[in-house]
Amino acid sequence: MGKRRKVILPPELPPETPDEEFEISDEDVEFFSENRSFTNFLASFDKKKIDKHVTRVADKSEDEIERLYERRNRNNAPLDSRENDLQVDPVDALPIKTLDGKLQYRTTKNVRSEEGNVSTDLTGEEDGEKQGTNLIRLTKAERNKKLKKEKKEAKKLKEDEDIAPNSPKEKLRSEVLKEVEEEISAEESFGAKKIKLAEIGMALLEGPEANIRSLKELLDFCKDRDPQVVKLGLMSMLAVFKDIIPSYRIRELTDKELAMPVSEAVRKTRYYEYTLLRSYKSYLQKLIELQKEAIFKLVAVRCMCTLLEAAPHFNLSEKLLAGTVRNISSSDDVIRKLCCEAIKSLFKNEGKHGGEGTVHAVRLIAQLVKKHNCQLHPDSLEVFLSLRFDEDLGKHENKAEEKNKFTKNKKGKQEPMKHLPPSEKKKSKQELIAKTRGEVYADYKAVSFAPDSEKRQRMQSDTLSAVFETYFRILKHAVDASDPRFMSETSGFHAQPLLAPCLEGLGKFSHLIDLDFMADLMSCLKQLSGFSSGTHLQSKTFNVKNSDSNRSYNGLTVSERLQCCIVAFKIMKSNLDALNVDLQDFFMQLYNLLLEYRPYRDRGEVLAEALKTMLWDGRQHDMQRAAAFIKRLATFSLSFGSSEAMTALATLKQLLQKNTKCRSLLENDAGGGSISGLVVKYQPEATDPYLSGALASVLWELSLLSKHYNPSVSQMASNILSMTNLKPTQNIVNPSLIALNPIQAFWESTVQKELLKPMNAKVPPSLKRKRKREQDTEYNVLDPQKLRNIDSEVIGEEEVKLRFEEHFKVLRDISENERFKGELNRTLASISLYDEFKREKLEKERSVALKSGKKKAKVLVKHSSSS
Amino acid sequence: MAKKLGKKARKFARKGLQTVQKQKRKQRTFFKKKSAPRGRGLNGEAPDENEENLNHERNVSQLDQNVGGGHVFDKNIGNLLGEEDEVELEDDFSDSDGYLSEDTECPYISENENENISRDDTARGTFQEENTEIKMQIAKQKKELDKLLAKDKEFAKFLESRRSQLEQYDRMVSDDEEVEGDEEEEEEEEQEEQTRQPVTQTTLDVWCWLVTEDPNSPALRNLLNLYHNASLFGVITSRNEKSAQIVSHEVYSTVINFVLCEADGIFRALLGVAENSNAERILMKLKSSKEWLNVGPLVKSYFKSSIKLLNQVTDTMLLVFLLFRLMSSVVFLHAFSSLGRRLIKILVRFWSTGEDQLSTSAFLLMKEVASQLSSDYFNICMKAMYRTFVARCKFVDDSNLARIDFMKSSFLEITSLDVQQSYLVAVSSLQRLGDVVKHSSTTKKKEDLMKINNWQYINCLNLWVKFICLNYKENNLQQLFDKAVRVIFGVTSLFTGPRFLPLKLKCAQMLNDLSLTSGHFIPVSSLVFECLDLTGGVTGKMDGDEEPRLKLSTLLKVPGNLLKSRRFQEECVRSSVEVLCTHFSQWSFHVSLPELSTIPLILLKRCHEKATVESVRRLIKRFIDQAEQNRDFLQMKRDGVSFSPNDQTSIDNFLLLEKSNAKSTFTQFYASMLQNSQIRNMVK
Repeated sequence: MGKRRKVILPPELPPETPDEEFEISDEDVEFFSENRSFTNFLASFDKKKIDKHVTRVADKSEDEIERLYERRNRNNAPLDSRENDLQVDPVDALPIKTLDGKLQYRTTKNVRSEEGNVSTDLTGEEDGEKQGTNLIRLTKAERNKKLKKEKKEAKKLKEDEDIAPNSPKEKLRSEVLKEVEEEISAEESFGAKKIKLAEIGMALLEGPEANIRSLKELLDFCKDRDPQVVKLGLMSMLAVFKDIIPSYRIRELTDKELAMPVSEAVRKTRYYEYTLLRSYKSYLQKLIELQKEAIFKLVAVRCMCTLLEAAPHFNLSEKLLAGTVRNISSSDDVIRKLCCEAIKSLFKNEGKHGGEGTVHAVRLIAQLVKKHNCQLHPDSLEVFLSLRFDEDLGKHENKAEEKNKFTKNKKGKQEPMKHLPPSEKKKSKQELIAKTRGEVYADYKAVSFAPDSEKRQRMQSDTLSAVFETYFRILKHAVDASDPRFMSETSGFHAQPLLAPCLEGLGKFSHLIDLDFMADLMSCLKQLSGFSSGTHLQSKTFNVKNSDSNRSYNGLTVSERLQCCIVAFKIMKSNLDALNVDLQDFFMQLYNLLLEYRPYRDRGEVLAEALKTMLWDGRQHDMQRAAAFIKRLATFSLSFGSSEAMTALATLKQLLQKNTKCRSLLENDAGGGSISGLVVKYQPEATDPYLSGALASVLWELSLLSKHYNPSVSQMASNILSMTNLKPTQNIVNPSLIALNPIQAFWESTVQKELLKPMNAKVPPSLKRKRKREQDTEYNVLDPQKLRNIDSEVIGEEEVKLRFEEHFKVLRDISENERFKGELNRTLASISLYDEFKREKLEKERSVALKSGKKKAKVLVKHSSSS
Repeated sequence: MAKKLGKKARKFARKGLQTVQKQKRKQRTFFKKKSAPRGRGLNGEAPDENEENLNHERNVSQLDQNVGGGHVFDKNIGNLLGEEDEVELEDDFSDSDGYLSEDTECPYISENENENISRDDTARGTFQEENTEIKMQIAKQKKELDKLLAKDKEFAKFLESRRSQLEQYDRMVSDDEEVEGDEEEEEEEEQEEQTRQPVTQTTLDVWCWLVTEDPNSPALRNLLNLYHNASLFGVITSRNEKSAQIVSHEVYSTVINFVLCEADGIFRALLGVAENSNAERILMKLKSSKEWLNVGPLVKSYFKSSIKLLNQVTDTMLLVFLLFRLMSSVVFLHAFSSLGRRLIKILVRFWSTGEDQLSTSAFLLMKEVASQLSSDYFNICMKAMYRTFVARCKFVDDSNLARIDFMKSSFLEITSLDVQQSYLVAVSSLQRLGDVVKHSSTTKKKEDLMKINNWQYINCLNLWVKFICLNYKENNLQQLFDKAVRVIFGVTSLFTGPRFLPLKLKCAQMLNDLSLTSGHFIPVSSLVFECLDLTGGVTGKMDGDEEPRLKLSTLLKVPGNLLKSRRFQEECVRSSVEVLCTHFSQWSFHVSLPELSTIPLILLKRCHEKATVESVRRLIKRFIDQAEQNRDFLQMKRDGVSFSPNDQTSIDNFLLLEKSNAKSTFTQFYASMLQNSQIRNMVK
């Protein structure tokens, strides 16, 4: 192991040892005697290659190797004296330095474990040798040498240890020296490691086939003690793998295939693939292992995500997926984002992996949701929104066939007319053609990589079922939680983190939902959107108890409830008329939710979407309902900001256009008009749109809205008002505004957008410029009376005189005070200077005395010290 | 002692500033050589870049000095300010010294009888005791020194050699004067050459008499010189033993008093303009007349000395007196732009930090300056005031609420003098405020939000909102209005949650103000819905009545522990009801009031049901009743009309009569409610 830690150094050449000194291990002998054929590699021993391999670094740059050797020598230097005495080979006697600056002398135990390692390595190697290439043998030979060398080292070290205690002093000094050196060299070695990493990486990228073995070396970096090195190692391996992973999946070879003799090229490729796969596997293992450690977590996750994005088709992608999905709901924002992005890209680029990855990922997420009882981060479910389902899959082919049939039929119709008697020969010929065509098609299908549509369809339905299973699970969970019995447990905290993305997903994929589920789903949604005729009173009591007014009694926010309504509508729309469910309840919900909406707390865009799907897009509405909504929307826009008002007005306008009869609301018809509904008088607080009696009201709001500060709102309001003059069939006053649907209207006038509007810095011409002088007694803001009083408060001359005198005295005293203080300080300083003066005097005397004689000086010194 | 403290503090402040200025002046001279000669216009020319940077730096440091302590928003002050900074002063004082050449004929009467400066008249005895004590000590130490000197003859020589070292002790004491002196170096220099005889009371009386008899008398110069001396009194005496002409307090006070009271009249008489003739005439005179050549230097000396005096005097009443006296001769400042700027600087300082009376009179004088003199002065005044306001409104509490209010309104007074000029400043400031919101709404970072959620920002915003409200009717401020509304909505959109309710309420109030002046409809009610949702469920302990009332006007963000307290909820509901009240009362006779009040009333009713605190319930109930009354009244009236919503003129005329009468109970209720809120928000 120790050897490997000093990777930067080129592998030390074993000391020149005469051949007879070589001991051959029993194992080896056994092996070679068993497989005699393997020995013939010795004949084709490429010495050049060995040299190159062994002194690889030297080949790269001479300066570099020189530096390395120099440093090694320097490290040796303190040991030199002792080692010379001992006559130990300097190369072997080196202690191992660890990165934290400790010295490790090789112990027997160390060596033993090394041996163990090597032997296991060897057995591993033997498997590989079945594929037999030169390269492996080379290392084999190298390994033998190494093994011997290490044994030797162990021996020497033992000696070392025996002798060391004899010279403790020496050791102490050298150790201190070494420590210092190692501190320096730790940095250097880090730099060197980096260089080495880069070299290996470059080599791999340049010629992956030739250098595939170095993957193992790279992998060794990941076992380094320095976390920095490990990270670098991981990242460089990632870069390498990203580049060299082939675009196909590597298949395990069967025994039969292995037994078959193959050409050189095939063998090479097989070896290459095998090595690649093996190191990839161990790399993944390493990643999964490191992922558990806090310092490496981010790096490991990043590697996995990148790999998943780059090579979702490759072997072991299941492992990658599992690792990624595990972190999809991580509390760390960065990690979660990474994982989500990776999964999303997996979904988006199905062509890369043929859809298998998608099914797998979706299943994994479904399991995760189940396992965590729907308590995950919303992001983890949002990835489903990137899923794409090809509806025409399968249908497409059927259609094509049908089309073919159709055209055939057509042709067939025509043909028989021309050639009435179909000859037997032609018939058989046609059959033959058809048959060959079929064969060719089958062949093509077998060869082509793309899975056939049937398989894809199957996978897609699997995916769908997993997705909907998850969605339904969440809905169910939400419904359960919204049960008043569980309120105490779930209230106060956002109990349904996944509900929002779930609803969004349901809305998006509503057309794919099986009709069988429809009824259940609708009732779920109904419950969630807050509809329960009997519980309205109850809800109030709950509201009182639960001070958190953000949520309604069922624990959902207004946005979520609006979303429920939207989903219900989308489902209904996409399964047009297939079900005959009355959506009145949802309308009622919306009608009431308009009052619950709070800007900035609830998401305005959801409201806009709800208005769009439920009112704007809808078909002709019932007159009563339309009127009720028109009235409420108008009222709504009086109380909320401009973007909400715009949304409401856009919807209102559309409603007015579609329901021409409701335009009577724009006019104040004296007697309530001919078309008043059941309720004669308008009830603004009604909860049921049918009972509001809105038809009896007048849209007075618009007159106030036309005074709105926001020009677009006021324009819209006047625009709507001008619809009065239109004939029932006529439409549109201003084409620019009608194009706006509620969602666009919302985004058009958000606060942020409004802020972007530039301001003209030019002074408007009509600005008043008061020509001052005349008006200087006029006050706008301040109380003039008070200001006038100020004049009278000014003190009289006598008082001023007195005060100035006082002021003068103070000033005089202060200056006097300062003068005195200065004088005092000066005097004190003079006194203190006396000491200095005395000392100087003494010194002078002493210097005089020094000249006159030493004895005298001594006396003086004594004198001065005593004084 | 208070006096002394005040002086010390002010000295410190000035000292701080001066060091900066000193450094700056050094650099300035360096730059000045390069830059083109400065014209008369105060900041008409574009300052070169270096200078601007300098100014900016200076500004920041100055503001720091003023407030003492950094603040998050500090960096933004520069931003909030207008683009160009005031061109600094200091470039004067070189062309002429403070003294006027004197006529030798003037009589000096020296009588020694009343010159015995009796010590017993010393002021307040504060320094007297200390001085006598020090004197005694000096005597003691001197004795000791003498002993030493006697003991060792060589010591005297040694001391002589160390004289320079000893001098330093002197200087150390008067250290702060040194800095002061820095400003007045010119005076110091020529002080050397001046050896004037002390002026006695009798001499002074004679001079005064001479001058009152004939304004042209040469004694005027002597008087002004004496006045100048007096203004320097504290500074000079500390360093130069030979001290000036003034030795008695009577002379000091008489000369100041006389000059201050009479100077204006004398100057006018000399120039030949009537006592109360208007400014234009004087300005004309200033430009052309020959008399000005003679009188000019006198006026300049007068102003210069007065400004010095303003720096010296600490007594508020004296300062007020000084300012008041200076007011009448403001017109003359036109000729001395640098002195004017200097004066403005001092005035702004008084305005922002002085006591009630002082700041008011400083403001009055400033207004005089801004209105009487050219628009350059107006600009300087306005910007200096704005800058100071920005620097001083970082914190709001009970103690400085009134001050900030005063600053706001006096600033508005100044700006309304020339809307055209201030419009530009308003545009750029609002633009900056808007940029901050825009930036924060994209980043949503906490530190960016902090830039908005502070008093400085809100106060500035409020200031400009008030500006718009004040001038909207007579001017076309539509653009400013739009921008302000957008910025306020932007601010409200950034903060959610009950903790920011005070901030939102403040925004709502501003919107109400804007709506009221502009006649535009601004949907304010949604801002208080959050507040209404909050009520109910008081968890905190019921505070006793003796608990001080929570003042939302001094809060932006509510501390967490208060959120559930009864006091807070009460205040919140009250404030939001007030906001709604203003909103409703504005539209109380509009045809669509019933619809306007629909949603708020629904929510209020819900709130009423939820509320547990009796006072809150009562408050809401009363409001609901009145609002419903209003609604019913309008509905009734509305049923009787035949016009439609698109008939704008009829709608405008709807219920005009009732509106002007305003006798219904609900209008009275609204009025009383608003009145109460104003009273409550005032400082006790």
